[in-house]
Amino acid sequence: MTEQEQKSPKKEARIVAFLCNWCSYAGSDAAGTARLRQPENLRIIRVPCSGRINPLFVLKAFSEGADGVLVSGCHPNDCHYTDGNFYARRRLEALKEYLPFIGIDKNRFSYQWVSASEGQRWQKVVTNFVKRINSIL
Amino acid sequence: MAKKLTETIIAKAEELFDQVEVMAGYSKGSNPLKVSPCFIEKKQDLDQLIFDKLCINNLATYAYRLSKQVKGNIGMVLKPCDAKAVNQLISEELIDRAACKMLVVGCAGVLDHQKISRHLGGARVFSANIGPETIEVETAEGKKELKTADFYADKCHWCSISDQDMGGDVFVENQQKLQAPKKDRFEDVKQLEKLDLDQIEAYWKDEFSRCIRCYACRNVCPLEVCQDQCIVHLDFPNWQSQKVVPSENKFFQLIRVMHLAGRCVECGECQRVCPQNIGLLKMMKKMNQQIETLFNFTPGMDVEAKPPLLTYKTVEENIEEEELI
Ligand code: SF4
Ligand code: SF4
Repeated sequence: MTEQEQKSPKKEARIVAFLCNWCSYAGSDAAGTARLRQPENLRIIRVPCSGRINPLFVLKAFSEGADGVLVSGCHPNDCHYTDGNFYARRRLEALKEYLPFIGIDKNRFSYQWVSASEGQRWQKVVTNFVKRINSIL
Repeated sequence: MAKKLTETIIAKAEELFDQVEVMAGYSKGSNPLKVSPCFIEKKQDLDQLIFDKLCINNLATYAYRLSKQVKGNIGMVLKPCDAKAVNQLISEELIDRAACKMLVVGCAGVLDHQKISRHLGGARVFSANIGPETIEVETAEGKKELKTADFYADKCHWCSISDQDMGGDVFVENQQKLQAPKKDRFEDVKQLEKLDLDQIEAYWKDEFSRCIRCYACRNVCPLEVCQDQCIVHLDFPNWQSQKVVPSENKFFQLIRVMHLAGRCVECGECQRVCPQNIGLLKMMKKMNQQIETLFNFTPGMDVEAKPPLLTYKTVEENIEEEELI
């Protein structure tokens, strides 16, 4: 466990990001190709669909010392598998509201929708999320 | 009173018995403050059945396992709150409605024998006479009279199930009505939420430093049908190390919370069986509270209802998505 490390201030925020293969992963790729500047704090894990994301992935990441966890998938109605993100929304919302009850600031978690063509949106999402995490740390 | 109720239950169980292979019910326990689950396979053994205020166990725990073990139907003596667990299993298609004969007994509240023992300082109990107002116990330290109202199981204080709701196949009416004083269901949740995040974290760390990972909480739960196939036992992926440390113990509990989101019927069994007295039930209640506010769903009340996390709406009225732009 890295509980001590997690507490020590002034280090770079470590953020785990779960991105769906079809929209957000491609979106972050588009941001890279367009050479949009973005913070380097993310460790990206590519998953087939946001519906693949078990809320326990998020909890496990926190338990292993992540400072923040970001989930991103296709916009509602745009899911590659039709409805994966609708299921994800329910689960992740329930999870998010639960976090404070186990002592985790809910601002350390966010779920977002970014499509494959939205490189700029991705840049903003990441920048703002990292900013938010840094202000909490 | 209790005698008459027991007799009616035995009579109804006899009627039902021709349709089932095994009947799960309550029988006398190892001491006067405990009852023990029993599984009756022969009609002449039905007279072992009892029912009184000590029948706190939720026999729905056996519903899934029994239904996998026996070929024919199973019968069960259930309190209305236990029937909730069976309903939930049915709505998730984990057990077959037709193969499960429910004998639901109207309930006047059950007592938590641990509360009584604690009050008596663990003194040995030779006999107990439980009435609606008073409990007369004879212990190694002499006779004592206790007030029944002080020893109800926590869940009885906020029980709002009307007996008829949970009709089952056979319903046995109880002359006594629920007598437990009303309390707020979320009192302990609210207490904890008053603290700030660091204090909450410290609270759980302290609670889970006592956990010995016996898995009793998981094994007793009527809805945790996965049992030994639980992901905590997997090597690949290695969800959880076998180290018994607070962070891992807490994560184990979070697995339970997530796997019971929108399913837990708040029977309180997990907390009752925990040998380390960890306040598990509030974790479950908190998740249920959220499921209620987000999706307007209470587990176990409707066999036709779709579990909230197995369905969705394209527009969710109660979810406000956060914009990071
Ligand atoms: S019953 Fe209690 S001690 Fe045993 S695993 Fe569950 S929380 Fe831990
Ligand atoms: S989690 Fe606990 S309270 Fe909920 S159904 Fe299971 S044993 Fe009962």
